[in-house]
Amino acid sequence: MSSKLSQPVGSFRVIARGKLGDERIQGVLDLSVTRLRDLRLDAWSGLEDVEALRERAHEIRMRVVDDLEGYLDQFQRSVERLGGHVHRAGTPEEAVALIVAICERRGAKLVAKSKSMATEEIGLNGALEAAGIRPVETDLGEYILQLGGEHPVHIVAPAIEKTKEQVAELFSAIEGRAVPAELEALTASARRQLREVFLTADVGVTGCNMAVAETGTVTLVTNEGNGRLVSSLPPCHVVVMGMERVVPTLDDLSVILRLLARSATGQKLSSYTTLITGPRREGETDGPEELHVVIIDNGRTNLLHGRYREMLACIRCGACLNVCPVFRKTGGAAYGPVYSGPMGAVLVPLYVGLGNAPDLPHASTLCGACTEACPVKIPLHELLLDLRRDLVQQGVSPRWERVAFTLWSLAWATPFGYRLSTALARLGQPLGALAGPGKLWAAGRAVPALAARRYRDRPRG
Amino acid sequence: MARRVPFVDGVVQLFATCLGDLVFPDAVGDAESLLRDAGFRVEFPERQVCCGQPAFNAGHHAAARRVARTFTKAFSRSAPVILPSGSCTTMVTHYLPALLGVEPYEVWELSAFLDRAGVELPRRNEGRTVAYHDSCHMLRELKVAEQPRRLLEQTGATLVPLPRADLCCGFGGTFSVRQPEISLSMADDKLGGARGAGAEALVTADPGCLMHLDGRVRKVGGVPVVHLATALARGIGGGA
Repeated sequence: MSSKLSQPVGSFRVIARGKLGDERIQGVLDLSVTRLRDLRLDAWSGLEDVEALRERAHEIRMRVVDDLEGYLDQFQRSVERLGGHVHRAGTPEEAVALIVAICERRGAKLVAKSKSMATEEIGLNGALEAAGIRPVETDLGEYILQLGGEHPVHIVAPAIEKTKEQVAELFSAIEGRAVPAELEALTASARRQLREVFLTADVGVTGCNMAVAETGTVTLVTNEGNGRLVSSLPPCHVVVMGMERVVPTLDDLSVILRLLARSATGQKLSSYTTLITGPRREGETDGPEELHVVIIDNGRTNLLHGRYREMLACIRCGACLNVCPVFRKTGGAAYGPVYSGPMGAVLVPLYVGLGNAPDLPHASTLCGACTEACPVKIPLHELLLDLRRDLVQQGVSPRWERVAFTLWSLAWATPFGYRLSTALARLGQPLGALAGPGKLWAAGRAVPALAARRYRDRPRG
Repeated sequence: MARRVPFVDGVVQLFATCLGDLVFPDAVGDAESLLRDAGFRVEFPERQVCCGQPAFNAGHHAAARRVARTFTKAFSRSAPVILPSGSCTTMVTHYLPALLGVEPYEVWELSAFLDRAGVELPRRNEGRTVAYHDSCHMLRELKVAEQPRRLLEQTGATLVPLPRADLCCGFGGTFSVRQPEISLSMADDKLGGARGAGAEALVTADPGCLMHLDGRVRKVGGVPVVHLATALARGIGGGA
């Protein structure tokens, strides 16, 4: 597979070590995720009964997962009734081929994009460039990353690790003059650079936060308004959506929307919540003449019927990233180029296979903060536990590890074996820090001393 | 969680846990004296070994099952099982029954049990300032957060809040050796938070967190880390 999602990323530990050693990134990460977390908690506390709402959202999402094909068919019929086109793509290759073909048929040279993790997943920008078409990201964070040739490190705040000084440097280079590192000046500069793109793009590509089966509506949740420009100014709008991104009705959508922005950024609603129902109709002045919805599978069908189906309920709010103590240290890059944090640690191995992402199920202390923060109640840390079991059962985990746990369990299967093995361990204790896990432990911590007398051997009153 | 009254005839079974038995026997002794002082008859089933959590959390279910069975052989359902460990309690209550296909046992984390029993503790920490570290399993799976704090306050300790008390200390079982750098950085945040809060000791009810944080302190210095049972039974100075 050539999609970005399946690109080998290197060892989680090595990438994390780099981030840990960078004081600036550590400061920025802590500040940003803590702020997003606090905003979510504030917003949740403003809801009358957040638990009931989470239950309802979970029920809606699982109802969809139970009959995904049925709801997708209904959605497709609704879109087609409105005059739009729906395409289904199994693989990233199929998806990008479909989109490139749409662009080529229209003779497109310039594509304006709003933020979309689905397009990251299929590696759309690279494919467009290879076809001689220039894609421009218009979400500010994504634009910054595109200028620097980098990947998003957070599904909601893609450039979360960047400081305004770094952005000023990038923008100054483009404008050929010094842009001050102040938010207003940077925004004005981005506007100047992007306005032309909105006005001249041949095709607009957006993601889809939620699609509504009964009405054929595509929902965009953004804060910069770029999603609205990208979907209404160019004559052709291509929506790229993961196949699980559908809800049955507008009422169901309202439940998800009440949770989505609150969980992502602490807003009741994002600044722009756009509901697009079909292409431009006769007599209307706005909107694209052509609307395409490309629905991608890319591994999702694998999840439909097993233990991991709850993961398809994910609404991509990023709340789990913001509370994760590991993400707070590593940022997104260690997880790979697309999804990160707890949701990424669960999702990526399921999409690309455990053998291609064996570090991710272990990139967690199983603290459960993610599960607690998930607005649609996905038991993320339990799914990570199950993935660890799969790593062992599928023979992906290293042989030495399986041998070690087997020997340990054989010894500790009886009180006698336990007594014998721990007595021996006490004799061998000085060697414990020399190799293997003991050495990794001892590099930063004193090795725990096995007590001279086990508690069971003490006289008790 | 609905539980029946836990002390029908005043008998409890103490599960030391492997870390307690091997590394922190003093804390287990403190747990035992707290239970005795509260008027319970404490049984210590000799055949106890370990709950199997190390293997279970690493994904090795066959190994976990083999070890977890020792629990069902050692403990009876006729009296509550008390553990001086939040994470082992979680293993036994939340995961072991499904892992082995057995009915749940009546299992209590020590401080939740003492609090429920309405113990009265002597003021062994009068004038001392301590911070309490929530272990993740206790906080989020057992939802035991108020009880240890109440008990510490009963002993006269002044509790100072930790910054970002919700954050894990970085132990995470095998995580501590799979990702040692992240794990240590998380420990340093926790210990730095305790120092910054002006705590004389950082108290935790989980031997895993204790081994990790105490190991870090013994390597690089910092606020002493004390098991909750010790803090309650002998004071944070360990009876000194």
